Amino acid sequence: MLHRESPHGEGIFPDCSPKKGLAAFPFLVAIAVTVLPLRADAPPKKIALSDFPAAAVQEVVVPVPSEIFAVLDKLGNPNWKAQLRDGKVRTPEDRARTALLLGNVIAEGFVAVEAEDAERVKELGRQVLTLAEAINVRKSVIARSKSITDKADQRDWRGVRAEFDGALQDVRGAMDELNDQDLSQLVSLGGWLRGTEVLTSIIDKGYSKDGAELLHQPELVNYFDRCIGSMTARLRRNPMVAQIREVLRKIGPIVNEGGDQITAEKVKTIHDLTQGVDQRIVNGGNGA
Amino acid sequence: MKPPFLSQFHPVFRRLLIAVILLVAASPSLLRATVDDALSFAYEAALPYYKQGYSIRKDAWGGDLGVHDKKAVSSQLFKGNDYWFLMASDVKGASLSVHIYDDKGNLVDAESWQRGRFAGARVFPKATGTYFAIVQILKSPEDRTPWALVYGYK
Repeated sequence: MLHRESPHGEGIFPDCSPKKGLAAFPFLVAIAVTVLPLRADAPPKKIALSDFPAAAVQEVVVPVPSEIFAVLDKLGNPNWKAQLRDGKVRTPEDRARTALLLGNVIAEGFVAVEAEDAERVKELGRQVLTLAEAINVRKSVIARSKSITDKADQRDWRGVRAEFDGALQDVRGAMDELNDQDLSQLVSLGGWLRGTEVLTSIIDKGYSKDGAELLHQPELVNYFDRCIGSMTARLRRNPMVAQIREVLRKIGPIVNEGGDQITAEKVKTIHDLTQGVDQRIVNGGNGA
Repeated sequence: MKPPFLSQFHPVFRRLLIAVILLVAASPSLLRATVDDALSFAYEAALPYYKQGYSIRKDAWGGDLGVHDKKAVSSQLFKGNDYWFLMASDVKGASLSVHIYDDKGNLVDAESWQRGRFAGARVFPKATGTYFAIVQILKSPEDRTPWALVYGYK
């Protein structure tokens, strides 16, 4: 999916708030280049960050879980199989929860790839298709689902990762075309929540400062909070969305600190918060 | 059959009005088409890195810029990964650049290159956090130059 600006630099936050425009984000960090204009051979060594027009900044792209998992693999040898969730998910009736669950299942796909569990990967590929159907974007992921199965059979794990990433973008692109930008954001958010739950679980099992530093994601947490803030009032009142916003606001101050300030206790706090909300996404109700 | 609301206008004005409506309706899709072309070129620039083992993200940034205009693209990067950012345009004769800065405004490119309508910058983040890719159109035969930026990691 392409994060676009509209013509002539207006409305640069299409994913979050096509309705509210730039005024909704005056606090966004912007960049002003204070020295000579950039040249290919001599970029300035230092630029000034200041309150420059927000039109000069384009929104963050949400990383896929495997970007973080790749670092964890370098730091140690995590037990990915232990992180896998069991069972099949049921398709919820609530479209918001379905979108969150779809993102959550795609993130689970990345975990299954790390665990090199071909059967689980294929099952998750099928679940992606079922959930996509429930929100009218099945067509966009049929080919991806088949490729996930084929590449899992070939144990082409890099290929499977690319297909899960592609499925995420295709689903979001299809939702954007249906003017369902809010649901599209919930897919990303559902994925981030599951990825963060797994990340914190692994760090919790063998705390290291390098591992904990991976949680230093202040702009992402702010971004998701802004996204929820720009959703329709009806969606903001959705109990699950409201709970997620609360969780984000508890996580925000923790991940805002320097990476070396994120202690084992704080990792545990983030884990408990994300696990609680993920259970609710998967099971509905109170997540029990 | 003409839509009833058009019948009230003089035929010449009516034709002009229809032309304007069609142009306005078509312009977002025209822009989209050309940004999609820029994206294809950006993926082309990323291909050698894919062959070197980088996972290229399907998510991307894009838009259009005037000559010498800059845009900052924010990105969450993780210490321990090796990233390449690849930028491209579909406009022949355009020249552009991309460089990476940390959240304090320090240049953090490990290396960078610029070849006409393609450019790339590599970064090994020293810390996990928010970084900014500064993209710029250095020259172009067009007033507005479509661009796209992709990234890969390993």
